[in-house]
Amino acid sequence: MNWNDFREVELLLFREAELAAKNEYQAWLGLWAQELLYCVPCNSDEVNPASKIALIYDDRPKLEERLFRLTTPQAHSQRPQSRLTRVVSNIVLADYDPATGGTATARFVATEVRHDRQTLWAGSTRHTLIRSGGELKIREKFVYLVNSDTPMSNLTFII
Amino acid sequence: MNQTNSQPLSRMPAFSDRSAIAGLVADERVHSRVYTDPGLFELEIERIFSRLWIYVGHESEVAKQGDYRTRLIGRTPVIMVRGRDNIVRVLINRCRHRGAHVCETESGNTKLFRCAFHGWVYDTTGAVMSVTGKEAYGTRLDGKDMGLTPAPRVDRYRGFVFASLSPRGEDLASYLGPAAAVIDLIVDASPTSEIFVDGGTHKTFMNANWKLVGMDGYHPHYVHASVVAAWKRDAESGVGSTHRDDPFNDDAATRTRDFGHGHSMLDFRAHRIKHFEQQCAFLRKLSGGDAYLEAMNAAYGPERAATLVSVGGDPHLAAFPNLQLIHNQVRIITPIAVDRTEVTMTAVRLGGVSDAINFERLRQHESFYGPAGAGSPDDMEMFERAQRGMMAEVNPWIEISRGMDREQIDADGTRVGLITDEVPQRGLMRYWKEQMTGANGV
Repeated sequence: MNWNDFREVELLLFREAELAAKNEYQAWLGLWAQELLYCVPCNSDEVNPASKIALIYDDRPKLEERLFRLTTPQAHSQRPQSRLTRVVSNIVLADYDPATGGTATARFVATEVRHDRQTLWAGSTRHTLIRSGGELKIREKFVYLVNSDTPMSNLTFII
Repeated sequence: MNQTNSQPLSRMPAFSDRSAIAGLVADERVHSRVYTDPGLFELEIERIFSRLWIYVGHESEVAKQGDYRTRLIGRTPVIMVRGRDNIVRVLINRCRHRGAHVCETESGNTKLFRCAFHGWVYDTTGAVMSVTGKEAYGTRLDGKDMGLTPAPRVDRYRGFVFASLSPRGEDLASYLGPAAAVIDLIVDASPTSEIFVDGGTHKTFMNANWKLVGMDGYHPHYVHASVVAAWKRDAESGVGSTHRDDPFNDDAATRTRDFGHGHSMLDFRAHRIKHFEQQCAFLRKLSGGDAYLEAMNAAYGPERAATLVSVGGDPHLAAFPNLQLIHNQVRIITPIAVDRTEVTMTAVRLGGVSDAINFERLRQHESFYGPAGAGSPDDMEMFERAQRGMMAEVNPWIEISRGMDREQIDADGTRVGLITDEVPQRGLMRYWKEQMTGANGV
């Protein structure tokens, strides 16, 4: 693996962060593979869908419905929309082959402003990336929020 | 003193201001100060949260000896713990020495509680095991029970543990009244009458008053319009499969119920029984669905099983003041300040059903509830908007008269309205007023 391969992953994660920060839902969805899992576990970093709820556990149909709902006029918890900015760093690749893909872990800090309230969101992510039609796509994204076991008010934007 | 439309409460009402508090609540309207006045909030902590039966937890949350869970009753920190004698107690989380929490984690398993301040030790029945350097107290502690203080009254219904910080008052069964039988709707959704309140907890907060989180069949078309729009794409998506055929319409067989004591219900039973076959078809598509239907028939008989299956384990009950059972969750409402409330939503797993059925129920919960759900964030947003709006006191009356002229009263005293009627709101405020003015004596 060389620097260009690493840079490709980095730029993908940065682009994902940009689109999420701008609430550009469809463009953000365009970064994903057809079959996907978008998961934000709850209470701990463990993912155990058979016996526990998560904050978000979306396959493609659920994620499409989530994004559809957010664009309807009465999506009150995003009216007004959150203003977001996000830093992604500490990116490390594992089991990565530029031809097929692999895993990227990272850490992020995001600031969200809504109703004059500023909220810090932070944690780590694990992306599974696959090469599809020459493009690197997101197959899975796990977001491990540092506050997943603490009361939070509104996580309806893309984290 | 009957001036209530222009006389603001400028200080914390005292016991002697009963008429001032009573003047805030009429049958058809309430003064918004009940939601915004910090002095009234302090009185609520005393007269409601430190007196009535408050939900603490479910026995399944402390399944093994030594299991514990910490919660709040009002502001009072408590530990629900299954002792080494297998008895579930509610103990005040305060060392008898100099007042520190003896338990600092939310849940776990332990053989004893050791206060980190000076090392005193209590066992899981609350009994004091060790006072470090006891000889220094001479005989002063002899004959004194220095164990963790138990909540003055503790009782349970079908595993739901309630406690009262007051040693006096009516018993739990009387307090719950007809609400108890509604709790059965979630427990008996299991053919073995077992539920496990351990499916994970969505923890949320809102900058709004705790009393805003109520039963309301009027709001879904408006607050959840975005979800209704999503159901047009897929009618059985998420909790869509539980809300067939628009139950939030006054033509529907759905009803609002006020059981007294501030308890209320959105009653979907008569509506959902009409969709029993559709619900069976939905379940049969899941692995273990057929077995579930057979087991429910065998356990409860066809008629009761039909009610239980069609209701889908969704009591939609508010047990005043802090417990709500909605869809597949146990919801606890914890007042933090007059304009701040924490709401936790713990998913329930049913005993005696297939993994696929529980999986589906957990996914349904995720889809609508919690801070990233399609439903609850819009509810919380609306409650916050109400809290902000109520800062205006120029015209301070909240109108809760919807359906007032068409209420029916059942033989047991339950008040019944159509689904959009404000029966639950009137019921809550009626009991609130009674408790806050000490109408039934202190």
